[in-house]
Amino acid sequence: MSGCPGSRTMDFSEKTNQEGNDSGKRPSQLRQWPIQMHLVSPQAPYFQGKDVLLAADCAAFALGDFHKDYLKGKSIGIACPKLDSDQEVYVEKIKSLIDDAKINTLTVIIMQVPCCFGLAQIAKEGAEKASRKIPVKQVVVGLEGNILSEEWI
Amino acid sequence: MDKVLNKEIKQIIDTYPEVGRILDEYGIGCVPCSVGSCLLKDVVGIHNLDPQQEATLMYRIEKAIYPERNVSEPKVDLTKKSAPKKISYSPPVKKLVDEHVLIKRLLALIPSIVEYVETSIKVDKDLVLKCVDFIRTYADKYHHMKEEDILFKYVDDKAEIIQVMFKDHDIGRGHIRQVVEGAEKGNKAQIKEHILAYRDLLTQHIKKEDEILYPWIDRQLSVTQVGEMFRKCNEADASVGDELPRKYERFIVELEEKFLQEVTK
Repeated sequence: MSGCPGSRTMDFSEKTNQEGNDSGKRPSQLRQWPIQMHLVSPQAPYFQGKDVLLAADCAAFALGDFHKDYLKGKSIGIACPKLDSDQEVYVEKIKSLIDDAKINTLTVIIMQVPCCFGLAQIAKEGAEKASRKIPVKQVVVGLEGNILSEEWI
Repeated sequence: MDKVLNKEIKQIIDTYPEVGRILDEYGIGCVPCSVGSCLLKDVVGIHNLDPQQEATLMYRIEKAIYPERNVSEPKVDLTKKSAPKKISYSPPVKKLVDEHVLIKRLLALIPSIVEYVETSIKVDKDLVLKCVDFIRTYADKYHHMKEEDILFKYVDDKAEIIQVMFKDHDIGRGHIRQVVEGAEKGNKAQIKEHILAYRDLLTQHIKKEDEILYPWIDRQLSVTQVGEMFRKCNEADASVGDELPRKYERFIVELEEKFLQEVTK
C-alpha cells in the first residue's frame, strides 16, 4: 500500500457488521442554501448567532447519521482542503463568521486522511485572526464512517 | 436494590462500611465527605465508569448489603480492558480548571505561611489579609461566582452534588472569616486552625471539581450550551477587567518568591 491515503482505492462493500436499521424516514436537517464555502456569505441570516458546522465534502457521505448527530440545529459550510482553490478566502470567511455574524460555536468535521486536516487548520487560522473568541470543536471521521475523535481545540 | 440506590451515601456507608471500602477501590471517595447526602445512584452515575466496571461495582455493593441474596455475578471480559479515560474539558470549563491552578499555588504555600505566622513575634496582619483578599476576590468572587452564577445553572442546581459544592464554598467563607478575626486579634492559633482547614477543604473541593464534577457537567452540555457558557464567562471576566487576574497572579509570584527565600535562608 502506497501513495496518498486521501485518494488510495479502498473497497468496503463486503462490510458485514452493520448496526442500525432502515425503518422510518430521516428528514433532512439542512436549513439553508447555498452551502459551499465559496458561495456562502457570512452576512446570510442563517449564520447570525448560530452554531456553525464546517464540514469536509466527504464527511456527510461517510457518516451515516450526519444529519441527526451533527447537522441538526446548525448552519453549515462545506469545503475540500485538497481540491478547492483560493482557500485564503475561507480563512477570511471564518474570521467574518466569528466577528460579524457572531456565531456561537464552530465545529469542524473532517475525514481521517492527512490532507483533510488542512480544513481544521483553516478553521484555526480564521479563529485566531478573529477578535472575538468562540469554542472550536474538531471531529475526525474514519473512512468507514466511525467517529475517531471529537474534541475542543 | 432500587430503595438502596435512592438512599443517601453517608447513611449507606454508616450502616454498611464495606460499601465505603468498595467505592474507594473504584476511586469514588465518598467516605471522607463531610456532607454525604448524594444518592447512591447519582454517586455511581457521576463517575462515568465503563459499563463493565459499573456492573461489577453494583454487584459488589448489592452483595455487601444483601449477602444472603442470590445475585448473579456479571461476566467480566478481561480481554476487553477499557483504555484509561483522558479528561477533555470544553473551553469554558477548561478556563475554570486553569483558574484552579492559581488557587492551588496559594494552597501549596499555606503551610509555609502558617510556619511564618507561628514563628514571627507579632502576627504579620498585612500578609494574612493579603492572602484573604486573594481568597475572597480571586478564588471566591472571580472564580466561585462564575461556578455558582453560570456553570451550575446548566445542571439541576438543587441536585445534592451541586449542593455539596455550595456548602463547601460556604464552609470556606466561614473559615476565612475566622482567619480575619484571628488576624485582627493577633491570635496565631485561630489563624492556623482555620487557614489549614480552608486548605484541606479547598484541596479536596478542587480535586472533586476537576476530576468528577466538571467532566460530569461537560458530558451534559450541548455544543450550543458550550458556546453560550463561554460567552457568559467572558462577559463576567470582562466586567471585572483584565487587570484583576493579572494582579493576583503577580501576588502569588511574589508570595512564592518570598517563601522560597525563607526556605533557602
